[in-house]
Amino acid sequence: MKTIYVLAEHRQQHLRDTTWDALAAGRDLAQKTGAELACLLLGSGVDAMADQLAKECPKVVVVDDPRLANFNSEPFVKTLTGLLAGQDSYVLVIGNSNSIIDLAPGLSVALDAALATDCIGFEVDGGKVKALRQIYSYKVNALVSFKGASRIVATLRSGFFSFAPSGAAPGAIEKVASPLGDEPLRKRFLSYVEAEKGDVDIASADIIVAIGRGIGDEEDLSMFESLADAMGGVVACSRPIVDKGLLPKYRQVGTSGVEVKPKVYLALGISGAFQHLGGIKGNPLIVAVNKDPRAPIFRAAQYGIVANLADVVPALEEKIKELKG
Amino acid sequence: MDIIVCVKRVPDTSEADLAIDKGGKDIQKGGLDYDINDWDRFAIEEAVLIKEKTGGKVTVVTVGDEDAEEMLREGLARGADEAFLLWDESFEGSDGYATAHILAAFLKQRSYDLVLTGTLADDDCGGQFGGMLAAMLGVPVATLVHKIEVKNGSITVRRELEAGLSERLDIDLPAVVSVATGINEPRFVSIRAVRKVASIEIPTVDRGELGLDEADVGSAGAKVEIEKVFLPPEGEGAEIIAGSPADAAARLAEILKEKGGIA
Ligand SMILES: Cc1cc2nc3c(=O)[nH]c(=O)nc-3n(C[C@H](O)[C@H](O)[C@H](O)COP(=O)(O)OP(=O)(O)OC[C@H]3O[C@@H](n4cnc5c(N)ncnc54)[C@H](O)[C@@H]3O)c2cc1C
Repeated sequence: MKTIYVLAEHRQQHLRDTTWDALAAGRDLAQKTGAELACLLLGSGVDAMADQLAKECPKVVVVDDPRLANFNSEPFVKTLTGLLAGQDSYVLVIGNSNSIIDLAPGLSVALDAALATDCIGFEVDGGKVKALRQIYSYKVNALVSFKGASRIVATLRSGFFSFAPSGAAPGAIEKVASPLGDEPLRKRFLSYVEAEKGDVDIASADIIVAIGRGIGDEEDLSMFESLADAMGGVVACSRPIVDKGLLPKYRQVGTSGVEVKPKVYLALGISGAFQHLGGIKGNPLIVAVNKDPRAPIFRAAQYGIVANLADVVPALEEKIKELKG
Repeated sequence: MDIIVCVKRVPDTSEADLAIDKGGKDIQKGGLDYDINDWDRFAIEEAVLIKEKTGGKVTVVTVGDEDAEEMLREGLARGADEAFLLWDESFEGSDGYATAHILAAFLKQRSYDLVLTGTLADDDCGGQFGGMLAAMLGVPVATLVHKIEVKNGSITVRRELEAGLSERLDIDLPAVVSVATGINEPRFVSIRAVRKVASIEIPTVDRGELGLDEADVGSAGAKVEIEKVFLPPEGEGAEIIAGSPADAAARLAEILKEKGGIA
């Protein structure tokens, strides 16, 4: 590979953490393949972000255009195809996020590149790049190769690439004229919409009883509410519980829901998908009850019970009440 | 509005005990249950809800062999008007890219206002299909969409960002929209509804009819190749509390008390 490109992600004029993940992975790949490293920064009024990136990357290519202010995939794909037109032998790494899910697949087609999404690692084997990702409900790891492709786009799962400031000499900032033409966009950003606030704020709870799809078709949540009451905590949940309309969105823990930072997190019938775990901050004590011993939640938890919820939850509540006296 | 919904049949792996196949490139699928990918069920429902408001036609389509027919029939029972099975032996081994290629060829032969699909499939966890398809068709795309409002010649969608934040976008039609789970509540399908569509013929469309070369499909047309699969190392996992569920629950209560899990 000749070049490792890192696409910087930003929102409301701030670089997002995904950018640093991608830079960490990009540096590592550049070193292992002997390629050059360059950041691509597309946005509107981005000088401050460019300076920030140049402290960590030998080259920063900047395109400044008001149509790139938000991560609208249409102008981004057009600009990136303009920038990379005619180039070969590169890997473009991008930290995964909900904006990037909108961008990367279409971009890979436009660049005629091979795509691997949500990678958790890379291997370089005889100069060839291979990516590690997870399949089948994220329970199985897969090492994928790119059939000798000379253009690769890879998006990265956050938390798997750790960035350390380099302290090297500042890199060069290269400003490129926007390749966007005058044709109107067919996809237009209108506005951001904030989450609705609810009657409880699970973000500030110390004790959380979180329920997941493993509660089955049960629509009566009183068993879990009364356990939470006994513990002095609140009920939260994973995404499927909100999707089914059993609890409101403001009780959903995860990357697209709420970030919580409790002292104790009891996960009942939750598999432990990374989007769910991504919402649990501050290293709480995690305890899980799940009938599948291989459920990923047991890798995040300190204690676990492998059993049916119905056999554990009432007994747990009873014992807690007894201990409270 | 004429809406085409792309769906996929996947093994249910979220609760199953998985083992690696002899070849080392896939899991053993023998004992697994199959169903429509969860995200795609929401896509069918959304298409039918839009049709109920604006009129038009809903078509469901999948790339898959005859085992996928039952899933398509369920789509008809949910309110779709017609269904197509795209299959040819040469399609075997298609990755997300090759699959998008096959569906793009199908869509180019038809007229449509909107293509709906799920954002992610639980088997390959790629989240790439809708975006690739739109790029191949040359139309705009939005993924992780949890609200669609139909306008005249365009739609306004809300798509999910992180931490409860959403963005509103205007998108010209035709377009591809990959929906998020939770965008609606998929209806219950009664046995009667399934019986009513039992006689609807589901045509199979093969590679020749789609005008595709063998090099475009299956593993030949794929851009990525699985070298090996393996179960992640168990690593430093939880301490599993032994004993009967009741005993384990009692021990857990003590642990919670010790560690401040009881206020
Ligand atoms: C862009 C994006 C954003 C997302 N954001 C979020 C988010 O913010 N929050 C979130 O939670 N998810 C989110 N998800 C979804 C996430 O990937 C998972 O699908 C989801 O977290 C799974 O929820 P679950 O663990 O409840 O269900 P499942 O994965 O289906 O797990 C259910 C578990 O229950 C166990 N179980 C079943 N029956 C029983 C029983 N009787 N007793 C004990 N255990 C039982 C099973 O063994 C299984 O482990 C997001 C996904 C995407 C793609």
